[in-house]
Amino acid sequence: MFLLSFLRVIKFSLQDLARNVWLSIITVVIIVLALLSVNILLMVKVLGSAAFNAVKEKVDVSLYLKSDAAEGQIMALKDKVSQLDSVREVAYISQQMAMDSFTAKHKDNPEILQALAELGNNPLSPSLVIKPKDIGNYDDLLVSLNKLDDQIIESRNFDDHKAMLDKINNITSKASEVGLIISAFFVLITILVVYNTVRVAIYTHKREIGIMKLVGASTWFIRAPYLISGIVYSLLGVALMIIILYPFLSFLQPYLAKFFYGFDINILAYYKHNFFMIFGLEFLAVTLVNFLASLVAVGKYSKV
Amino acid sequence: MTIKNIMIKLENISKIYSPDIKALYKVNLHIKPGEFVSIVGQSGTGKTTLVKLLIGEEKPSQGKIVVGGWDITDIGQAEIPVLRRQIGVVFQDFKLLHRKTLFENVCFALQVCGEPPSKINSIVPQVLKIVGLENKMNRYPLEVSGGEQQRAVIARALVHRPKILLADEPTGNLDSINAEEIIEILQKINKFGTTIVLVTHNRDVVNKLRKRVITIDNGQIVGDQAVGKYIL
Repeated sequence: MFLLSFLRVIKFSLQDLARNVWLSIITVVIIVLALLSVNILLMVKVLGSAAFNAVKEKVDVSLYLKSDAAEGQIMALKDKVSQLDSVREVAYISQQMAMDSFTAKHKDNPEILQALAELGNNPLSPSLVIKPKDIGNYDDLLVSLNKLDDQIIESRNFDDHKAMLDKINNITSKASEVGLIISAFFVLITILVVYNTVRVAIYTHKREIGIMKLVGASTWFIRAPYLISGIVYSLLGVALMIIILYPFLSFLQPYLAKFFYGFDINILAYYKHNFFMIFGLEFLAVTLVNFLASLVAVGKYSKV
Repeated sequence: MTIKNIMIKLENISKIYSPDIKALYKVNLHIKPGEFVSIVGQSGTGKTTLVKLLIGEEKPSQGKIVVGGWDITDIGQAEIPVLRRQIGVVFQDFKLLHRKTLFENVCFALQVCGEPPSKINSIVPQVLKIVGLENKMNRYPLEVSGGEQQRAVIARALVHRPKILLADEPTGNLDSINAEEIIEILQKINKFGTTIVLVTHNRDVVNKLRKRVITIDNGQIVGDQAVGKYIL
C-alpha cells in the first residue's frame, strides 16, 4: 500500500507539473535567476581572491649587494637568509642576470639601451630576491632582514614595500568583509525569492489541498507531491544553470586571461574542479528552501 | 439509549470564539444510525460550526463529541483523515477539482487513501450510477450543471461507504428542480442505511421531507421534532 501511495504521489506531482506547465516554467526560471546571481557572486569572489593571492605572490623583497661581493660571500648570505623563519624562498640574481632582465624589459626603448651602452660597464647590483613565508608576517621578515649584519649588503630600504603591503592587506581584508556582507545579502534575497515563488506556486493549489484534506487524504499524502515537485524544480533549475553557465564561462575565460595577464586565474577550471561541490550544494540549498516553503505553505492551506 | 443506538452524540457542546461570540452553547444532541435529520436555522446560528466540529475541522471549547462510538472531542491531526473517510461531506460550493473529470474527482477520494486500482475501478462507476452520472462521468465539472456537480460531490462522499453523510447547504446554489433531485438522491442513500445530516435553511426542502428536524437559534437547540417542519 505504501509503494502504491508513493507511486501515486510521484504521478500526481508530475501530472501537476505538466498541467501547470507555465507555473512550473516560471518557478524554474526564478530558481535559475536566483542561482545565476549566486554564481556571479561566487565568480566575483573567486576572481577577487585569486587576484589578491596572485598579487601577494608577486610581493618580494630585494636585498641589493655590493658589485664587488665574491660569489662565495653571496652564497653564504643566501643560506643565512634562507634559514630565517619568515622566509619561504630566496633567489640570487647576479649582475649579469639583472642586466639581461633589464635589457629585455626595455628592449623597445632605444634611449635607455643607448644610455646603458654609453656607461660601458654593468651598473646594476647583484641582489637576493626574498619571498616571505606568510604575507601577514611581513613585519617579522623586515625586522630579521634589518638585523642582518653583512658587509656585502649595499641597500636595505624596505619602506615602500611595507606601505604597499599594508595597502594590499588592508584592501584584502576590507574586500573580504564587504564581500561577506554582499554575499549574505544576496543569499538572503535569493532564499526569499525562491521561498516566495514556491509559496505562490502552492497558493494556486490552495483549493486542491483543502479538497484533499476533506476527502480524507493523510498529511503525508498532501505534502509529498509538493516535496517531489520541489526536488524536480531544483534539479531542473540546477541543470539549466549548468547548461547556461559553462558556455558563458568558456566565453568569458579568454577575456579574463587577457585582463589578468601574468596571473594564473582560470574560472572555468575552478568550476570544473569544484563541479560537484558547487552544484551539489546549490541543489541541496534550493531543495531545502523548496521543502521549507512547501511545508509552511501546505501546512497553512491544509488547515481544514 | 445504548451506544449501539447512537451514531452522533453531542454532550454539552460549546464553541466559544470569544466571550461575545458563542457559535454553539451547551448543545446536546443524539442521532441514531440510519436517521435522516435536518438541522435548520438562519444564517450565523451555528449550523456550519456544528458540521466543522463533526469533521474535526474545529474543536469544541467544552463538551464531548462521539461519532460512531469514537470520541473525537480531542482528535489528533493524524486521526482526522481516518475520521473523514467515515463521514462523507457535501458542501454548497461543491469543492470539485476543475482540472479533473467527474470520474477522476470521485477516484481521487479513493486514490488519496491508498485504495488499489481494482477497487477504485469497481466502486466508482457504481456510485456514479447511484447519482445518475454514468453517462457524464468523463466530463469536467465546468461542463455540467450545478445539480450534476453536486451529484458528483455526493458520489465522491459515498465512495468511502461512509456511516454518515453530512450535507451542508447542498441545495444552496441550485434551482428548485435540481434541489429536489439532490434531496431525492440523499433519501435514496438514506434507504441504504447511511445516516444523513442535512444542514439547510431551505424551508421547502425541509417541509417536504417530513423527517426529524432540529432547529438551532443563537447557537442553541430550540426545537427537535421527530416529524418536523421549518418553524423559524
